[in-house]
Amino acid sequence: MVKATRGTLVKCDASIKAMLLDIDSKHRNDFIIEELDEEHVLVKETKIAELKQRLQSMMKERLKEPESSESES
Amino acid sequence: MSASSSQALEYLELLPRQTHTKLYEQPSTVLAIFRCMLPHLAKTIVMAMLYMPTPFAASDLDAWFRPDGKREREKALAVLEQLHIVVPQQDAHRRTSYELYPGFARSLRQALEGSGTHRSFGVPSSTPDPKRVTVAFLDEYARNQWENILFYMVGSTVGLANAGALAQDVNEGTKALLRAGDFVKLAHGRVSITRAGFTFVLQETNAQVWSLLIVYLKHAPQLSMSETDVLSFLFMLGSLELGQDYTTSTLSATQLQMLEDLSAFGIVYRSSKDALTFYPTRLAVTLTSDSGALSSSEPLAKSLVSSNRDGSAQGFIIVETNYRLYAYTSSLLQIAVLSLFTKLTTRFPNLVSGKLTKESITRAVKLGISSAQILSYLTSHAHPQMQKTQPFLPPTVMDQIRLWEYEGERVETTNGFLMKEFSSESEYRDVLSYAESLGVLVWKSDAKRLFFVDRVEQISLYLQKKKNRSG
Repeated sequence: MVKATRGTLVKCDASIKAMLLDIDSKHRNDFIIEELDEEHVLVKETKIAELKQRLQSMMKERLKEPESSESES
Repeated sequence: MSASSSQALEYLELLPRQTHTKLYEQPSTVLAIFRCMLPHLAKTIVMAMLYMPTPFAASDLDAWFRPDGKREREKALAVLEQLHIVVPQQDAHRRTSYELYPGFARSLRQALEGSGTHRSFGVPSSTPDPKRVTVAFLDEYARNQWENILFYMVGSTVGLANAGALAQDVNEGTKALLRAGDFVKLAHGRVSITRAGFTFVLQETNAQVWSLLIVYLKHAPQLSMSETDVLSFLFMLGSLELGQDYTTSTLSATQLQMLEDLSAFGIVYRSSKDALTFYPTRLAVTLTSDSGALSSSEPLAKSLVSSNRDGSAQGFIIVETNYRLYAYTSSLLQIAVLSLFTKLTTRFPNLVSGKLTKESITRAVKLGISSAQILSYLTSHAHPQMQKTQPFLPPTVMDQIRLWEYEGERVETTNGFLMKEFSSESEYRDVLSYAESLGVLVWKSDAKRLFFVDRVEQISLYLQKKKNRSG
């Protein structure tokens, strides 16, 4: 029997996916329903906003970029 | 089918059968749906079946299509079935045949032939109005009301000094509606625009009107108004004539209540709150016409475009390869929209100039505005001088805007449904190709026999039918 699961398809590159999995495992696997392939995961629809936010803050922590200052030219 | 009516179609498709049945009692509604909601192929099918005395066998219908037109046929039939216009039936020999929904067929025939005693196309006022207003006045009125709404959304976000004063012209009901539709959100007592709101502002006027009306429709039950009444009134408005006054005496209580809200949007005009007549404005009469594309609606296209774009219909924005931006406009609305994603530095009487910077773009992205939206705004308002090159915008600038966005947003999300656990390869292939032909397929994995769709209603109907056939 065919089943339909409600959720949000998240498309990202492999490095981001690793971060998403990391976040998921640190929070009782509360976000991800299923890993689909290298670049796609299925996430609970209600949790997507929170997941995005956690990803943002994680990236800020890990990737310290020099803030490019604006040059007037 | 224009972009503006497609969102109305999407809304209609999700209504239950009973609502459709009630809607189809009004010839004006049926005509409006036929005129501007249906894809062209669906129109052809409806027209062919309209005067057929007996149900139409599915095999005969299939014979009309070339094998390579399967995709289009499925799409047209899916829309018709979803709207309950065409009803599929199965006879004792399991042969499928199609029939037009009787109520729909009757109303469409009435609309075409002008028969029946329905009053669904509005009743012109019989007594001449002493304070008759001109078409030019109506256009002005509609434009003012509508621009105020847009300005309320954009102006306060960017913090223009006089935004508050202008926003007072927008009444509380409209403000509440904009919040309910998630077009603006209140934060710290200030109004700021959302992604949906920005999409809204960037649409052409006709599409904007529909977006707002659909939010209105969704909230109609809360205001104890019947959805059907509201919808059929809107469709009726679309069939009225500009500059003619119509009597309010044939309207239901719900529709009278609506008149008040609609005049706040500038869709209808009434000289006073208890006037016995109302005038539809251009926003109303273009609701159900495929405007813009038609040459006969030339004055309409012009007047609506110029109303929103402040007479600069041909475009007014110049972007240079060094990210500098010049906009020949004096409209506060234009300037407010631009300042959502541009660092504006100088303003002259007819020109503002500024620069697209990483900061200004990422700020816009944080507000929920996508790079695609910014680019489409800049492209569609590019100055004629810019339009001499192809593409209109410098490619470096376009790429950079996308890259700036990508730095902030690293994931792409789609809400929908994952279909899995297909029992066989052939079943998977079959359902997959159906999803593909409907245009709802987002992602698939042949190896795992999985696919993801953004809408599931049609697919589950299809599966149901498949099950019945085999079981």
